[in-house]
Amino acid sequence: MIPIIELIDVWKSYNGTQALRGLNLEIQRGEIFGLIGPNGAGKTTTLKIIVGLLKMDRGIVRVNGVDISEEPFEYKKLIGYVPESPSLPDYLTVEEFLIYSGKIRNIPGEQIREKINYFVKLFELEEKRRVLIVSLSRGMRQKVTIASALIHDPDILILDEPFIGIDPVGQHVLKDLFIERIKEGKTIFISTHMLDTAERLCNRVAVIYGGQNVASGDLKNLQQLSKTRENATLEEVFLKLMEEAKEQIVEEPIEKRRRGIFGPLGRR
Amino acid sequence: MVLNIYKFKVKAFFGAFRASKASIVLLLAYVIGFLPSVFGFSVMITNAVRQGVYSEIYTEIIAAAASGLMALAILLALRGYTVFEYEQNFIFTSPIKPREFLIASIFTDLTSSLVFANPIFIICTIVVLWLNLSFVSALLIFSAIVLFTFLIFFLKISLSIIKALYRRLWVNALIYILIVILLLPEISFFTDLPLKYILMPYPSTFLARILIDGLYNRVTHPINFFSLILYFLLLTMLFVLSSKRNFFPVTKHVPFVSPFDTTMRVQTIKMERSIKTFSRIGIFFTLNPESKSLLNFLMKKEIIRMIRDGTLFTVILIYLITSFVTAAVSARPSEGLSTVLFLTFFLGIYSLIVPLTLISNWRFSDFENLWIPLSSSADMRIIMKAILYDFVVTSSIVPSILILILSIISSINPLLPLTLVISTSLIGCSATLYVIIKFLGRKRRGTPSLLIGWASMLFSALLLTPTYILVALSGFIELNNIVNILSSALILIYSALIMRYFEGKIEKNIANIEI
Repeated sequence: MIPIIELIDVWKSYNGTQALRGLNLEIQRGEIFGLIGPNGAGKTTTLKIIVGLLKMDRGIVRVNGVDISEEPFEYKKLIGYVPESPSLPDYLTVEEFLIYSGKIRNIPGEQIREKINYFVKLFELEEKRRVLIVSLSRGMRQKVTIASALIHDPDILILDEPFIGIDPVGQHVLKDLFIERIKEGKTIFISTHMLDTAERLCNRVAVIYGGQNVASGDLKNLQQLSKTRENATLEEVFLKLMEEAKEQIVEEPIEKRRRGIFGPLGRR
Repeated sequence: MVLNIYKFKVKAFFGAFRASKASIVLLLAYVIGFLPSVFGFSVMITNAVRQGVYSEIYTEIIAAAASGLMALAILLALRGYTVFEYEQNFIFTSPIKPREFLIASIFTDLTSSLVFANPIFIICTIVVLWLNLSFVSALLIFSAIVLFTFLIFFLKISLSIIKALYRRLWVNALIYILIVILLLPEISFFTDLPLKYILMPYPSTFLARILIDGLYNRVTHPINFFSLILYFLLLTMLFVLSSKRNFFPVTKHVPFVSPFDTTMRVQTIKMERSIKTFSRIGIFFTLNPESKSLLNFLMKKEIIRMIRDGTLFTVILIYLITSFVTAAVSARPSEGLSTVLFLTFFLGIYSLIVPLTLISNWRFSDFENLWIPLSSSADMRIIMKAILYDFVVTSSIVPSILILILSIISSINPLLPLTLVISTSLIGCSATLYVIIKFLGRKRRGTPSLLIGWASMLFSALLLTPTYILVALSGFIELNNIVNILSSALILIYSALIMRYFEGKIEKNIANIEI
């Protein structure tokens, strides 16, 4: 079966920092896939490359079998994205923002209205519907962002720390929503630090460190790979894998590029 | 202790400057860009003095400008004593005393002013050298400027502390009364009332007299200098008294603002405040999901943003000031400059600020939100087109309406100013948006907004050269109407072509933005 998202040998560097070093990942249709790793492991960079907010230096990313470098726009119809601490148009009301999110995706007006009604009820935002986003709390902003990512009913939902700032009831609603979507054959790709949530929610998890995939699979696979006890938690597995990864991955200086007058030459 | 805080504050102010290598090039552009104006002003002042035409109006203008500065400083005191968050968190929690903090703050403000106000000092130096002024005259000029600068700092700080400590009605009343007293003689510019600055015992009047007497190599009356010193001593005393009080617990913190600061967070906080203020007006407009044309929908969204974040208000304010000054000049035809020329000259100078204001506000208010269309399948070309068209419409319609009103009131031909404004709008908006987007690439993201803005204005002004030439020719050589209309049409076609060119470049570059 073709993976719905596939990353092959993906490299990305920012000025002087190597964020991804040949990252490989495979996410199957209909699963909740978790991406876990310490701060600076490259989780957000990975998600941003998939959704087209960052360009990789080299490697291949395929979404639904399509190479995103060759077809950089069409595949985004399949995607809904929720960034970590999203910036939102504060000058719009909740309703206007959701209308904007729907319009730029060419969704018919009537359908947009239906979706807005559904999500404001689901996330208990009815009273805030005509309130400017600037006045919303962090948790409410997060709910609005998730609603905007779902407005076109995407096949793949990509979420960067989606539970941060959301109250326990909201988190519960969200988890139910994710499970519901999986039943419909959709895919969810979550980056999170909340290991207990990842353990309960995700079908499979990838542990990344230093921009590399250290281990991936379901909890059983990870327990075997990390040689932890049979009923070890994801947290125990993660800590063990981190210990090993720190010993194995030696920080290498970033490859220096020859520079011409107008910028780097010979990009990889 | 004072020195340590001074160093800390200066580093905080200029620190962000090191974020991008492009900053150095742009700072150079800033200095070079000012040189022609510095040179021009110096020539203008020197020639006026050499011709020996002494007029009281010069003293009046300098006194009015200096009073305006004082009034602005007093107005800022209305907010109470404001500090940056980092000062509250790191400095106020240390054993530093209020006076030490205030002295360090004054010297930091002086250092930062020196960087931006350096053209004024360069002009003074050139004028002093060219006019071959005596050492005493030069010394008096520079001493008066330094005294007046400190006087403004002491006034602002003392009133801010008083306002912070005593949040009573009388403080507000005192501040407003001072502002009114300082600005009242401005009326003399528009009326024949005998309320002139030269008749008032204001510090600004004494400063103006010292400067003008110095320039004309005349011996200034000692009372001018001693009065200025007296004001300085009085305000120093006020400063010493107010700095004894512990005002730390009553300070208000404001977002850290440095022209070299590139963090969007700070600008976003500023924008949030504007949105809370202006959204009450803009809430009457809303978006309709049934809208048939995506371009129209996106343009409406941008207009809503401009109303709700205060951008439109700023644009209207800029042009209202321009119109106000033009109307004031046209009310005094005896000053020699024709209204149409003055209006055109004024527009030529200020109209480039409008595209920059529009695009800078968009950058602070909406750039970080580009992740929404960029991560969707939205057509970025339509989104950028909507933004650009809105900028062009706003920056041309607002002044065009004002020009038309002015032309009816003053019975002038609006063709020249209209051509200038529309051409500036077409070229300024597209070129500035292109430069800003170019600088939003990850490698140059750290470049300070102030320098990017300056570079984009220079770039736009360069592209506007044909427009400026036409306007200058039409203004000084009286061309007939047909030639004027034809050349205006040509200029507008040229401007539209330039805009079309940049539109294409923006569409190409927007896909390369990394957020």
